[in-house]
Amino acid sequence: MSTLPSAIVNQDEQYLVDNARRRKQLSIWFYFLCVAIALISVVILVVLMVSIWSQGQSRLTTDLLTRAHSELEIERSGMWPAILGSLFVCGTCALVALPLGVGTAVFLEEFKPTQKVLRWIHGFVQLNIANLAGVPSIVYGLLGLTVFVYMFNVFGQIRVNESAGMEIMGYKHFYQVLTLEPGHVVFAPQTDPTVRQITFDEPFQAVDPDGNPIEISIWTPGTPKPTDPEIRRRTVRSGAIGGTITERNWYYFRLPFDKSFLSGGLTLALVILPIIIIAAQESLRGVPSSLREASMGLGATTWQTVRDVSLPAALPGIMTGSILAMGRAIGEAAPILVVMGAAVAKSSGPQHLMDDAVTMPVLIFNWAGRQQDEFKELSAAAIIVLLVILLLLNSTAIYIRQKVQKAQS
Amino acid sequence: MSSVTPAIVSEKNSDDLSDQTLIHIEKLNAWYGDFQAIHDLSLEIPKHKVTAFIGPSGCGKSTLLKWINRMNDVVPGARAKGRLTIDDDHQGQRKEIDVLDPNLDVVGLRRKVGIVFQKPNPFPKSIYDNVAFGPRLHMKTSKSELDELVEWSLQKAAVWDEVKDRLHGPALGLSGGQQQRLCIARAIAVGPEVLLMDEPCSALDPSSTLAIEDLIFELRSQYTIVIVTHNMQQASRCSDKTAFFFEGRLIEAGNTEQVFTKPKNKQTDDYVRGKFG
Ligand SMILES: Nc1ncnc2c1ncn2[C@@H]1O[C@H](COP(=O)(O)OP(=O)(O)OP(=O)(O)O)[C@@H](O)[C@H]1O
Ligand SMILES: [Mg+2]
Repeated sequence: MSTLPSAIVNQDEQYLVDNARRRKQLSIWFYFLCVAIALISVVILVVLMVSIWSQGQSRLTTDLLTRAHSELEIERSGMWPAILGSLFVCGTCALVALPLGVGTAVFLEEFKPTQKVLRWIHGFVQLNIANLAGVPSIVYGLLGLTVFVYMFNVFGQIRVNESAGMEIMGYKHFYQVLTLEPGHVVFAPQTDPTVRQITFDEPFQAVDPDGNPIEISIWTPGTPKPTDPEIRRRTVRSGAIGGTITERNWYYFRLPFDKSFLSGGLTLALVILPIIIIAAQESLRGVPSSLREASMGLGATTWQTVRDVSLPAALPGIMTGSILAMGRAIGEAAPILVVMGAAVAKSSGPQHLMDDAVTMPVLIFNWAGRQQDEFKELSAAAIIVLLVILLLLNSTAIYIRQKVQKAQS
Repeated sequence: MSSVTPAIVSEKNSDDLSDQTLIHIEKLNAWYGDFQAIHDLSLEIPKHKVTAFIGPSGCGKSTLLKWINRMNDVVPGARAKGRLTIDDDHQGQRKEIDVLDPNLDVVGLRRKVGIVFQKPNPFPKSIYDNVAFGPRLHMKTSKSELDELVEWSLQKAAVWDEVKDRLHGPALGLSGGQQQRLCIARAIAVGPEVLLMDEPCSALDPSSTLAIEDLIFELRSQYTIVIVTHNMQQASRCSDKTAFFFEGRLIEAGNTEQVFTKPKNKQTDDYVRGKFG
C-alpha cells in the first residue's frame, strides 16, 4: 500500500463524487448542444423549402414541365428544354467522369509502382488531384472554354451563323433557293464547301423539302411566267441566289465543340473528376489489404484482384461519392455559364452532338434576375423541380447501392 | 496413421527427410529497402511433412514464408538474393522451379504454393464463392465439377458439416475458427502442393486451434506444410521438422523431437524452454 503514489492514496471522496456528477452534467449539456446544432441545419432547410414552396407552388403546372421559355407568353413559360438540357449535360458528365475517375483511383490505389521514378510520378499525380479538388468551378469553366469550346483555335475560328471549324461527320450542306411559288424552297447540294453562295442561271438537280430529287428549270424575266403551281415549284428565277444551309444528323461531329452541351458536360466532368477520384480512392483504401493478399495468394493477377475483390468491396463507397458528385454537377451554374453562355431561348433539347442546350441552373439564374413577378415565381417553381429531380436521382442511386451492399455480405 | 503421434512418425522418417526435400533454400538474403531481414539462410523443407518455423518476433519467419510464394512482390523495396527452388514433378519429369527468377510465372507458382494468413480473411462473399474463387481463376470447370470440388475442399478442411446447410450464406457470418478453416479450404481448392501457414491459430480459441492442428496433421499426407508459430506446444505437437530463427539467421533446424529435447544450440535451448522471446 505504501508504494502507491500519493495522488492515489490521498483521495478526497467528496471531490470524487462531485467531479463525477459534474462530468455527467457536462456530458448531458454537450448532448443537447449537438441536438441543437443538428436542429439548426434542419430548421434552415425547412425554412428554405417552405419559402420556395410558397413562392413557386402556384406555378407548378404542366406548362412548366412541358413548354419552353417564352418572352411573349411569360405566364406559360416552361422548363422542358432545360430539363432535357440538364439531363444531356449531366449524362455526358457522368459517362466521362465515372469511368475516368474510378479508373484513376484504381490506378493510384491498386497499381502502386515499386520503381523509384514511377513512385515519384505516382506521388505527383496524387498531389495534383488533391489540389484540383480545391479549384473553384469557374476556373474549370475557363479551362473548358479554351479546351473544348475553342480547342485553342487549331481547327479554325468559330463565327456566328456559320459552320466553322472542322466538320467530321453527320452533316450535309445545301444551297437553299426560293422557287417561283411563294414560300416554297428547294435545296441544291453544295459541292464546294468554301463557296457560301451561288447564283443559279442554268437548270440543276435539287431536292424538295421532303427529300425527293427534282429537276429545276430556270425562268428568265421577260418570258411568260408559269402559272401551274406544280411547275412554279420546280422553277427558279434566273439569277436567283442560293445561300448555304446545313442539315445535321444526331451524330453530327465537329471540332472544336463550340458552345455545345458536349462542351458543358466535359467541363462539368472536369469539375467533379477530382471528387470522384478522391471518394473512390478513399473507399478502395478502406478495403482490407488482407483481402487483396488472399486473392493474390490464390494466384489471382492484380487485375483479377481489382475486378473480383477490391472493386466489389469498394463499390458502395464509390457509389456514394459518385452520387454526391453528380448532385454537384446537376446544380452547377458557373462553369456552364462560362462555357455554354447564358441564353435561355432554346425551345427544345439538344438535337445533335454539337447542339447547344439550356440547363436548369442557368434558366433559374436567368428567371430569378428578371423584373417580372411571373419569372420570379417561375424560378421558385423551377427550383422545386430541380430539387425533386435531384432527390429522385439520389434515391435511385441509394437504392442501387443498398442492393449491391446486400448482395455482397 | 492418425493414431500414431507425430513425434514417433518423424523419428521413424528422420533419416529420409533429406532425400525427399521439396523446397531448397540456399544462402538466401532478403531485404526491405536497406534493412536486411534474412541473412545467408540455407534450409531444406521436406516433402509431405510439416515444417515449423519458430523464433522471436521480428526474426524473419514471415518474410521467409512470403518469399516461398513471392507474396513479397507487392511490398515496395522488398528484394531477395540467393537460391530458392521447388521441385516439380511435371508429367513424370523432374523439374525445378526457380522461385526468385524475375520472369517466373508467379500466378502458376501461387497455385502450387498456397498460403493461409494469421487472421482469417474470407472474402465478403458467400461460403461457396469463397472456395470457388481460386478454381474459377485457374480452371475450366462445369457447375457440377465445381460443386464437387467445393464440397471436397470443405471436407478436407473439416468444416463441411458445419457449413453444408448454408453454403450460399455469407462467409463473414462464420466463427473465427470456421473462417480460418474456410480459408484453408479455399487454399486447398486450387490443388496446391505446398501450404504455407503464417500463425494460422493465433487469432483462435483453444478448441478451434486444436481442430486446425488435427487438420494440419491430416493434410500432411498430401501436402507439404510450412507453419509459422509462436506456440511451442503446437510446434512440437504437429510438426516433423523445426527450424529456429533468430535475427534473420537460421540458428538450428532438424527433426522436431531433437530440436525440442536435445537442441544443439544454446539459444535454441533457451528459446524452446521459454527463457526468452
Ligand atoms: N513491409 C515491410 N517493410 C519493412 N520492413 C519489414 C516489412 N515487413 C517486415 N519487416 C521487418 O522485417 C523483419 C522481419 O519481419 P517478419 O515479419 O518476417 O518477422 P516475423 O518473424 O514474422 O515476426 P512475428 O513473429 O512478429 O510475425 C522485422 O524486423 C520487420 O520489422
Ligand atoms: Mg510474422
